[in-house]
Amino acid sequence: MKILVCIKQVPDMESRFKLNSESNWYEGTDLAWRMNEYDEYAVEQAVQLKGQVGDADLTVLSIGPDRVKEMMKKALAMGCDRGAHIADDDYFKKDPFEIASVIAEFAKDQGFDLIFTGMQSQDRGSGQVGVLVAEMLDLPSITTIVDFAFDGGQITVKRELEGGIKSVIKATAPALVTCQLGLNTPRYPTLPNIMKAKRKELLSIPISDLLKVEGKQETAKMYFPEKKGGGLVLEGDVADLTDRLIKILKDKTAVLA
Amino acid sequence: MELTREIYWNVGHGVGTLLPMYLLTFAAIAVLVTAFKKRIKIYKQGQSVDRLDQMPVRIANLVKNVLLQSKVTLVKGPGLAHGLFFWGFFLLFLGTCLIVVQADFTDLFFGVKFLKGNFYLLFSVALDLAGLVAVVMLGGLFVRRYFVCPEGLESKKDDAIMHGLLFAILLSGFVIEGARMAVTELGTSLAYWSPVGLVFAKSMAGLGEESLRSVHSLIWWFHLLLVMAFIVLIPFTKFRHIFTTSLNYLFEDLGPTGKLVSIDMEDEDAESFGAAVITDLTWKDIFDTDACTQCKRCQDRCPAHNSDKPLSPMKIINQIGEVAFENSESNLIEACDKDAIWSCTTCLACQEICPASIEHVKKIVDMRRNMVLMEGEFPGEEVMAAMEQTEVNGNPLGLGYASRGDWIEELGIKPLSEDPDVDILYFVGCYASFDKRNIKIAKSFVKLCQAAGIKVGILGKEEKCCGEPMRKMGNEYLYQSLAIENVELIKDYNVKKVVTTCPHCFNTLAKDYRDLDFDVEVESYTVFLEDLLKTGKLKVNAEELHCTYHDSCYMGRHNDIYAAPRSLIKAAGGQIAEMDKNRSEAFCCSAGGGRIMAEEKLGDRINVKRVEMAVETGAPTMISNCPFCLTMFEDGIKGADVEDKLSTKDIAEVLVERLN
Repeated sequence: MKILVCIKQVPDMESRFKLNSESNWYEGTDLAWRMNEYDEYAVEQAVQLKGQVGDADLTVLSIGPDRVKEMMKKALAMGCDRGAHIADDDYFKKDPFEIASVIAEFAKDQGFDLIFTGMQSQDRGSGQVGVLVAEMLDLPSITTIVDFAFDGGQITVKRELEGGIKSVIKATAPALVTCQLGLNTPRYPTLPNIMKAKRKELLSIPISDLLKVEGKQETAKMYFPEKKGGGLVLEGDVADLTDRLIKILKDKTAVLA
Repeated sequence: MELTREIYWNVGHGVGTLLPMYLLTFAAIAVLVTAFKKRIKIYKQGQSVDRLDQMPVRIANLVKNVLLQSKVTLVKGPGLAHGLFFWGFFLLFLGTCLIVVQADFTDLFFGVKFLKGNFYLLFSVALDLAGLVAVVMLGGLFVRRYFVCPEGLESKKDDAIMHGLLFAILLSGFVIEGARMAVTELGTSLAYWSPVGLVFAKSMAGLGEESLRSVHSLIWWFHLLLVMAFIVLIPFTKFRHIFTTSLNYLFEDLGPTGKLVSIDMEDEDAESFGAAVITDLTWKDIFDTDACTQCKRCQDRCPAHNSDKPLSPMKIINQIGEVAFENSESNLIEACDKDAIWSCTTCLACQEICPASIEHVKKIVDMRRNMVLMEGEFPGEEVMAAMEQTEVNGNPLGLGYASRGDWIEELGIKPLSEDPDVDILYFVGCYASFDKRNIKIAKSFVKLCQAAGIKVGILGKEEKCCGEPMRKMGNEYLYQSLAIENVELIKDYNVKKVVTTCPHCFNTLAKDYRDLDFDVEVESYTVFLEDLLKTGKLKVNAEELHCTYHDSCYMGRHNDIYAAPRSLIKAAGGQIAEMDKNRSEAFCCSAGGGRIMAEEKLGDRINVKRVEMAVETGAPTMISNCPFCLTMFEDGIKGADVEDKLSTKDIAEVLVERLN
């Protein structure tokens, strides 16, 4: 069995973001990088599947500059067998269609039985890449899965719908699934596996080898939301606080009217 | 009348006495040696570790703790009773040796007798009283164990055997003495030099010489058999502590206090990390289990045990011992219980008080290392998240690393990347860098330095967590990654001196980083500021402050810094109302051992207990010296619902309020 898991490196969301000079993406400085949260679920599920079927080869793929290899090593330490690094310093300028076609180009002749991706990235959040890859490879795709089971070529997944309703979907491999929070708890790599990961195959392929299409959209502008209102913390003596609170409630709300 | 007595009176000094006596003695010793040899094989299952270096220090420790009973008598009451019993029994042992030396050696071969005259009088009265002291102390310990029944003191078969046998040996000794005196000494002035024997003699005098001689002979042989039984039983009962505990003083960890052994991360052949089976531990770890006397002093002081968590340091040691001696294939971690292993705050209260020099904490961390490094297991998801946050942002709080130095705004200091020419590098640590409450400490410390004319620099966003909580939680890999980065960074800036306001950072930089070739001087802010006060560079106004002071574990027990913080508080005008548990007996805040990253899900909350102890002093202010402690107490004050009675401050805050 061959499995592919696609992951993206994103800035930690606690980072202090600044816009770049073109105001169409964020600046790359002062950011701490990590694996996209939803991709961690994808890696974990892929590794669990490999553990279940035993005889499987698990490839992890990521597009980006050299620094993404650090994150790919974590995926290798979690249990992926080999890494395919699509080297691209301008990855953030590519739209989901281009990214998906690069992945599809990489995957097309390799006969992957299952492809795992995150449901979306934490930085761009288009939620398109997984679905587009499936479309390009002519595979069934199931999005935002929160439960996954595999039995003899048949996959059974749960999806979470609005209002907490869940649905169960079945499909036959080959297929692609995009992973949502709640699917699993990603493992913490053990030290022997971290050591082993250092010796695993991690090939870099220039993006030009795989990019054969042109983008269909561009980010025109990126900006911080305007500051409106916000919280107010009252501090001081309790008696005084009560008076101030009543005044605010009278002035700005109708609750005391 | 000659001042002496006939050795082997009544039983005779012929082959009929000596042959069976010595044969029995040699047989008993042979059993003892054989049994210990078997135990030594068990110890040898462990990994090697050198505990025979610095012999003069080790021998001094041995003498101090065996002959002077230094550690044992740290606890008054039972400790002193044990000490007095030991001294009594030891004198009796020495006395018996003198008899053997004279009767079967100097007198036999050279006709020299030294047990006579004034020396004999001294010998007689000393041994007689030693026996009395031993009996009384044994009685006291017996009453304590079987009638007072202190909580947690478990009495097993061994304890009954030991009490019974020792009592029988001592009592039979007096009966022999009494019978002999009734025949040979009653009515002479010599009898007064054996006051206890005299009481026995008088009470037996009515039996008549013939009966007395029979009783004497019978009891003499009985006494001998009891002593033989004692020798034989040493390796098979807790009596073995006579040897094992004593030797443990010789094998003691000579420090630095509480320092863990670094794992070699470069070793590519290593297949396993930490301790999961007995052979993963060192021989000393196994030997420790044999040195434990189950006195439960560690358990009495363990903050986890005292807050109804499943940890008892004593039981951990006993369970490891059970695995080593009875079930060496089985899993250590399961035997010790995971929840117990995770509950430890590494506060070191157990090791500080242990009269047998046992190292509990290292074993616990060794087992944690196995769980984390081999299984990716943590006490909770929040701990795993904190580890991952630290990997990404260099702090367990998960805040953006780039804002680590933001707090220095308006203070007029710079990161070393902008100005490396400083008097001291202030290693701020995660809490004082990111946590709103603790940033006040960082600011206070910088202001104090500035008032004293000290130029301070920080590493700012280049600084990473020192790695202490991760290391104590077992994540040696993450600790070393963080440590190596910090070490290289600090060395590159050619820093002369590092000062910390966090005892965990202090302990880590000053001790643990030494394994990574870090040789820069590191000082705790308490010692640093005390020095500035002494030299007059720093001046503070003494303003009245009624307070209590909490010795953090890593300032106190781990580093023995008790005086400097108190002298700072006094210089600030503080009057300290000490809590019952202070200095080396201080009760942990709950956040050590990486527990700062974990939720306290089991038992009661340790921080609330400590806050309640502070409230008991009646002082309205609780002063601490550690950001973890401060955080726990801020929380504990709310938990104990004493916000109207108590507030908590760091020493630096108190001082900065009193700047000239």
